[in-house]
Amino acid sequence: MRLPYLARKVLQLLALLFAVVVFNFLLFRVLPGDPTRLYARSGRLTPEVVAQLRSLFGLDKPLWEQFWIYFKALLHGDLGFSYTYRRPVSEIVGERLVNTMVLLAAATILVTAIGIALGVWAASRRGSKGDSSTVISSLVMWSMPTFWTGMLLLFAFGVWFQVLPTTGISTPLATYSSPLGPALDVGRHLILPTITLVLVDIGQFVLITRSSLVDVLTEDFVLTAKAKGMSKRRVVWGHAVRNGMLPVVTATALYVGIVVGGAIQVETVFSWPGMGELTYEAVLRRDYPVLEACFLLFAVTVIVANFLADMLYRVLDPRVTEA
Amino acid sequence: MTTQHAGVRRDLSRRQFLTRAAGGAVVALSLPELLAACTGAGQSATSTTSGSPGGASTATLRVGWSSEPDVMNPLTSTTTEAVEVLQLVYDKLTDYDADLKAIPALATSTDVSADGKRLTYHLRPNVTWHDGEAFTADDVVFTFTLIAGQKSSQFAQWLGDMQSIEASGSDVILTLSKPQAFDPALAIPILPKHIWEGMSNADVQKFENPTPVGTGPYVFGEWKHGQTVSVDRYDGFWGTPAGPASVIWLLYQNEDVMAQSMRAGEVDILTEVPPTIWDGLGEVDGLTALSLPGFSFHHIGMNVSTAADSQGNPLLLNKDVRQALSYALDRNQLVQIALAGHGVPGSVLLPPAFGDYMLEIPADQQINADPDMANQLLDQAGYTTRNGDGVRETPDGTPLQFRLIAIESTTVDVRAAQLFRDAAAKVGIKLDLATMDENTLDAIVYGGTDWDLFVWGWDTGVNDPDYMLGIPLSTQIGGNNDVYYANLEYDQLYAQQAIELDHATRVDLVGQTQQLFYEDCAYIVMWYQDKLQAYRSDLWTGFADTPGGIVFNFTRANYTNATPV
Repeated sequence: MRLPYLARKVLQLLALLFAVVVFNFLLFRVLPGDPTRLYARSGRLTPEVVAQLRSLFGLDKPLWEQFWIYFKALLHGDLGFSYTYRRPVSEIVGERLVNTMVLLAAATILVTAIGIALGVWAASRRGSKGDSSTVISSLVMWSMPTFWTGMLLLFAFGVWFQVLPTTGISTPLATYSSPLGPALDVGRHLILPTITLVLVDIGQFVLITRSSLVDVLTEDFVLTAKAKGMSKRRVVWGHAVRNGMLPVVTATALYVGIVVGGAIQVETVFSWPGMGELTYEAVLRRDYPVLEACFLLFAVTVIVANFLADMLYRVLDPRVTEA
Repeated sequence: MTTQHAGVRRDLSRRQFLTRAAGGAVVALSLPELLAACTGAGQSATSTTSGSPGGASTATLRVGWSSEPDVMNPLTSTTTEAVEVLQLVYDKLTDYDADLKAIPALATSTDVSADGKRLTYHLRPNVTWHDGEAFTADDVVFTFTLIAGQKSSQFAQWLGDMQSIEASGSDVILTLSKPQAFDPALAIPILPKHIWEGMSNADVQKFENPTPVGTGPYVFGEWKHGQTVSVDRYDGFWGTPAGPASVIWLLYQNEDVMAQSMRAGEVDILTEVPPTIWDGLGEVDGLTALSLPGFSFHHIGMNVSTAADSQGNPLLLNKDVRQALSYALDRNQLVQIALAGHGVPGSVLLPPAFGDYMLEIPADQQINADPDMANQLLDQAGYTTRNGDGVRETPDGTPLQFRLIAIESTTVDVRAAQLFRDAAAKVGIKLDLATMDENTLDAIVYGGTDWDLFVWGWDTGVNDPDYMLGIPLSTQIGGNNDVYYANLEYDQLYAQQAIELDHATRVDLVGQTQQLFYEDCAYIVMWYQDKLQAYRSDLWTGFADTPGGIVFNFTRANYTNATPV
């Protein structure tokens, strides 16, 4: 008997997650380097002390045993203890993840909303000056390096005009007069990184939406709708857009997945205290527990986003169900 | 201690710091700087919007750094950043002033016995911990005992010769098995017994110490992970109250942005400035760019392991080959090209910031920039080109070809490695260059002997030559000794200087130690990099030109002496 679709999907998802956990665990341990070297170079350590440190971190056990300990803890929601920060990894990653999520939520909403709107607008005016300038500027923005764009904005608005803060998520040592103060402060700090992400990422959404919609708009049912005397707006938004959304949903799912790890460049420019800096430092220091948690999180985001996209397909287009 | 990155951790974190700074310089080539040049906007930025200054002691000193501390536990931390914060929170028995001269701290004076093995520290009365508890001799005894048992701490090396430590009224008596030129009191932060008592070694290793309690001029404030660390002036401090009411360190993940933020008025001091940016900052009104001698060097290490199973190229065991490599290289050119002039050409193991401890080798005696001499040495050794490919061979046909590795993110090192490769080619030695990340290079160099040459650096965690001189000890093979150098004569000279209490005699011994290692050529010390920093001189004053930098140094004096303009 075949399992229902959803059950099959969930099983696949779990198998994939397990594979990711195993891979993450092995990946960093197979790479050259050793977390205890960090301590071995500070002061004069004897090999015995290095051995003690390895034992403290559990690195003296056979690989399979290390994995078993890690996996058991993971099932209990315990991500381990950071070699570097000497704090529980869940705490460390948790506070960074929240910051990254704030930035990403703002950027994702704006990128998809504006991107789709512009794409639809251009597609419905295919061939016009407005269309071609939208396409060209999308291509230009898509090609702009994130780092460079961020620096440019930072210099213009942070250093030259000095109207927006250049770094961090809030003003250091600020005192707020109103209860809304902290949120407004974060909001101000969000502006430049968000605009950067929107500028460099919006192009793909405009182009995908436009090309998908251009196809749909040539289909017979659109002609029929027009023939029925519907307004252009109703034809486009009521009939064509829903049919043109499938590729956009895919793109959004991929975007959310990529961006959790991929906002690193923006985080670096604006010193946003997110996952980027944490991951970078953890790689340099070979902080295995932190690395495993970060990459697990990245993988889970990608997998879950794609799972949700799959589900959304079936809602948007019932024909997918039988596929 | 502290040091800049230096080391104490020296070493590692310092190295990371160099890495990062250098990387930034290049990536950047600094678009904003270029823009500033084009638009003249640089000038306008000097009118600051910062709200700090004004009243004598209500101002906050804002310091920008490019890496975060790891943990506020001084016994497990390996970062310069943590040391920087903790040196304002914890006191030592003896400290450094802004000129790096020893001054009393928790100990008002120290008596040394005639044989140098017994140190009596007279403790300052009426000192209180930040939590209100009284500071006593028991705290000192506890700290020394704790650290001596924590072999993995950066401080344990200074207590290797400790026989006993005991309290006697308000005195603490430290007994050593042999005299020690470097007084451990200058390195060890005194911890409160009432907080650290009762922890096992494993407990200490896992102790986060989220709010360190000390006796120092500042009370630990808050650490917003990934963002800022702050400390606030301690009203009950035993000494002169510090200038800034608070100090806050701001994390910048990008050094270009850090420099721009200083112009925008968001930060007062930059702990490390990449050379390309430094040149521009000095021209901005209201900013002062500092170039101070550093406590670090970068070097080319040669695998001189004589172990039977060494997998290094045995040709490097020939001193003539090593000296030829050293003669082939022009240190002055390295400094000009790789460092854009911001450094001193290298020679011996100790950087110039050590003052009279550094051995001056006259230019005509340096093993440097003399390709003719290199050719002569190699010709005499019978290594000549036989097959016309430009690479010398040994009489039995083995080519003079070595593997050279460098850290790819340390741009200055990669540039130096390329120059070294070209210089060696001119004297008939072929170098195959590969780059990698630091931890990988570390694993190759320390994990075995399957390598020939590397480019890397060191810096010191204490203001004493002992640490750097100790790197090539044969007993440090498996520890810090990165070239597997083993020379009993060197070990003996080192041991003599370490117990010599007379300064002039020690300077002489330290000089001999450097001379020996220099001639053996297991290291090619390429350069001593200048410490490039900058501060808002329109907002703050009171900084001394301390060798090693106004901040990220062994002294906290430039923090406490800072005064708003």
